[in-house]
This record gives sequence, structure tokens and C-alpha cells, in this order.
Amino acid sequence: MSGPLVLGIETSCDETAAAVLAPGPRVLASVVSSQVDLHARFGGVVPELAGRAHLELLAPVVAEALERAGAVGHPPVGAVAVTSGPGLMGSLLVGLSHAKALAMAWGVPFIGVNHLEGHLFASLLDHPDLEWPLVVLLVSGGHTMVVAVEGLGRYRLLGQTIDDAAGEAFDKVARFLGLGYPGGPAIDRVARDGDPTAFAFPRALADHGFDFSFSGLKTAVVRAVERAPEANTADVAASFQEAVVDVLVTKAVRALEASGARGICLAGGVAANSQLRARVEQACAERGVAALVPSLAMCTDNAAMIAAAGQWRLEHGAPSPLDLGADPNLELAFAR
Amino acid sequence: MIVLGIESATELVGAAVSDGEGGGAEVTVAGRRRHAECLAPAIEQALALSGRQLREVEVLAVDLGPGLFTGLRVGVATAKGLAQGLGIEVVGVTSLEVLAAAALDAGWPGEVAAVVDGRRGEVFVARYRRGPGPGGLAELSPPARARPEDLAELAAPDGQATLACGDGALRYREALAGVAPVVVAGPTLAAPSPSVLADLALARRSAGCPAVGLEAVVPVYLRDADARINWTQREATGGG
Ligand SMILES: [Zn+2]
Repeated sequence: MSGPLVLGIETSCDETAAAVLAPGPRVLASVVSSQVDLHARFGGVVPELAGRAHLELLAPVVAEALERAGAVGHPPVGAVAVTSGPGLMGSLLVGLSHAKALAMAWGVPFIGVNHLEGHLFASLLDHPDLEWPLVVLLVSGGHTMVVAVEGLGRYRLLGQTIDDAAGEAFDKVARFLGLGYPGGPAIDRVARDGDPTAFAFPRALADHGFDFSFSGLKTAVVRAVERAPEANTADVAASFQEAVVDVLVTKAVRALEASGARGICLAGGVAANSQLRARVEQACAERGVAALVPSLAMCTDNAAMIAAAGQWRLEHGAPSPLDLGADPNLELAFAR
Repeated sequence: MIVLGIESATELVGAAVSDGEGGGAEVTVAGRRRHAECLAPAIEQALALSGRQLREVEVLAVDLGPGLFTGLRVGVATAKGLAQGLGIEVVGVTSLEVLAAAALDAGWPGEVAAVVDGRRGEVFVARYRRGPGPGGLAELSPPARARPEDLAELAAPDGQATLACGDGALRYREALAGVAPVVVAGPTLAAPSPSVLADLALARRSAGCPAVGLEAVVPVYLRDADARINWTQREATGGG
């Protein structure tokens, strides 16, 4: 296939990432430098520390991605795509400014990409021949939403969290249970030895609609542990995880049935949760539809998905102007 | 030698192209607090107006601060991206040196206290006079973080005639008003100028000061990341 190589850059939160994508799309190189150790002792991402770390890490990460991809021409790539939002302002600015500068230096187009759209493209990299329409369950530390994707670039928001994101709930409960940071993998690990029916935690808004609410869940966990201090931590973690996964799968299946989609696609950091993956695969198998579960590398923030979204935007639209700013609250452009 | 100066350490954001012999162009934008939006277009404009191409640039000069953290991130990331893309060197200069160089260029014969508004009730300050070093600056006291009420004593500790310049000096001019040997410069010397920055970097480069690798180009923050304050702010905004 013809078309230029695209360099993708992602710095919206605590991963400094760069990737080189060939047409296809085919990932030639994807480098992710995680700052998780830097933020672990604070129990969450510290924005000022993240911004400073991105500024130190990005140039070497870009150099490594170009080198691994064998992109050595003049210019080495035909376009530069970068996350322009949503995310942490100080972190977004580093990637955005670096990407504009590279595009100027190489005389190639520059494309600002919506991070959420990037997550939607992540599954495309794992499953290049996937068929639309799909229901995408996008769950991360910052977002929890169910999106009906009628085709690339055509999104309909069905529902989203009205308070905490699912990943945020994992972090908060893990911190409360003393399981460390990040909370998602910690709870997933501990829950394997626990009884998911030991505690009946609330499934907020489960009976109707597509919206989520997770803020009450942490309170319920705290109260349950206060009432039963001798409770097995593994049981608490497993029951909490079961409550979150239950609601997520219920809503995704409801969206599938309401929209007549051909399958459910998982995206975002929480898509790495083993229980969520298993339950979505099971629900899809029962209904004879596709379960598109991304590889672990495509769940967490990476730049290959940003390059893929940028590549598509470049083919179906126009490059971004050099006066593009970062938008911490950027929303997906939804149809209707 | 063609140098591109990138300035975004304070409220003023801009770029200058200089050939070191009086030729070049400068584009600045002030008071809009839109560093990320304005810097790349300012670079393009300055290049276009000076009739130069980006690939002709041999040295990148960037203001390393101290100053606004947001502005520094935009400026330093832009300089690193350009240097990486063009394969050229970066010369970092502090905002306080750029301010002092402009004041000495303007003909002030005595000492200069450069003061940048650090926000959150703090200033960044350093003192200079004309000297034999590259760019004609001699540092009398290194960049430091201070409270505005201590400015009077810091600006002229030895009672010498001193010009206080920079947005910090303007904002806290009352703190300096009663100090006899101190004169507060007006708004023309309030912000670091991209062309002064470019020429200062060029002078240093010509005097044999080495440019540094990309990994060594780090902003002068002078203030630790306040982990706890920012962490609670993060709870409200969330990540991706
Ligand atoms: Zn994300």
C-alpha cells in the first residue's frame, strides 16, 4: 500500500510514547516510557511531575521509535500526529509543541488527534479487518463511556460516567485496601484468590440506560470493611471488581442489543482487566457476535493508536493548523 | 551564523531570526496567555519576514527560565523538537540574563537586578553588571526564588546604583520604591526579548561556549513540583 509513514506522539497523562506507522495500518515501532514508578508514591499521577518528565523523556523516545522503525530518510516520516486532548494540560503541551516543531523542521503535515478517538483506533491495529457497526466500551482512569461506532469517524455517545471513571474507582479502592498503585492491576491480581460473591456491593444505575456511576461504590467498600474489619482483602477486592465488571458488561450488552451492532470492542486501560475481558468474550459468544479485546499493549496509552487516528484523519480530512492549542477537556465529535 | 531565538518564559511569547550582523526579524505576542497557540506561527512568521528557511538555521537559542512553567514547557519542547528534526544545537539562556542584557544594551552603567514574576506570591531574581564574559554579562548573584518583600534588600545589597527590570520588578515596584539606589525600569524592559536572546546566544557561541545535547536542555524551574497541591487538583480533572 502507498502513503506516508506517520510518526505518532502521545503525552496526555503519564506515558511518554512515540510510534511509527506504515500504511495498512502496520506498526513499525511503538515505544512507551511509563512514569508509573515516578507517581506511585503519591498514589496517583502528579501533573507537574508528569509534565517535567515528558519534557526529559520525549526526545529520546521519539529517536528510539524512528530508529527501530528504520525511518532514516529526509524527512524520516511523511506526517506527525499528536494527542491534543483530552488529558493533563502540562503534559499535553510537551507533546503538542514537540510534534509541531518536528513537523516544521521536516516540512511535513501536522495532525492533532483526540486521545479518545485514538483509543477507538487501537482495536483496529489488533483487528485490521473488523466489521462495523460496533459498540465500544472505553474504560480508563479518566473515562468511562459506551460509544456506538457506525464506521471510522462516525461515533454516537450512548452513555458515560456521571461521576468517577472506572479506573479511578479501581485506584481509590486499591489505595483504601493498601494494595498500591496503579489500582487496576493490583486489584485484578488480589481478586484471583477472592470470592466475588462475598460482598453484595451496589450496581449503580444497572437497571436502565447507558450511564455509569462509581462514586458510591468506594463508599460502600469502606463501609463494608468498617463493619467487618476481619474481612479477607481478596474477597473485598473480588467483590468490588465483580460489581464494576457487572455494570460495564450489562451496559455494553444493552448497547449492543439497542444498536444492532456486530460486536463489542474494549478500549482503554481498564480493558486490561482479566475479569472484564473474560466476561465480554463470554457475553459475545453467547450472542454470536464478535468480541474485540485488544492486546494489553493497545489497552494502555500508546502512540501507535494516535498515529493510526492521525493517518485516518490525514486521508479523510486536512492537517491541523500550527496554532492548534491543547484542550484538556476535548470531547469526541459525536454525530447528532 | 543564523540563529533562531525562541522566547516563552513569561507572558510574552515570540521568535527572532538573527544573522548576528543586524539582519533578521522578530515576532512577539504579549498578554494573551496562549503560548502553545502562538509560538509555532511566530517562528514561521519570523522566518518568512527575514527571508530565511528553517534549514538555514544553525543555532537554536531558547529561554530556559525561570518563569511560567506552562510557557517554559512550550518553549523548551519546541526547541528540542526543532533541534531533533533539524539535527542542530541548542544554546540555553536564562530569562534573567536576557533581561539584564537588554538593560545593559540600553546603556545602564551600573548593576542590574533582573526580576521575573514567579506567580503564587514569589519572584525569581538575579543580579548582573557589564563584564568581560561572552555576551558582556557578569553574574553578581545567581538566579534565586524570593518573596517580593525581600526584593529591596536582594536587588541592591551593597547600595550600588541598580536598575531593576522585568515583570516582577514592575509588579512589585512598591517594594522597591523606598530604596534609594534602585530605579525600576518601565514596560519596555519588562519581558525578555527574542532578538536579545538570539544575539546573546550567538555571542556565547562565537566566544566558544559549547552547545549542549538535547538531554541537557532542562528548564530552570527554581521551584519543586508541589506534589500534594497538584495531586488534589488532579482528582478534579482526571487523566486519559
Ligand atoms: Zn487513554
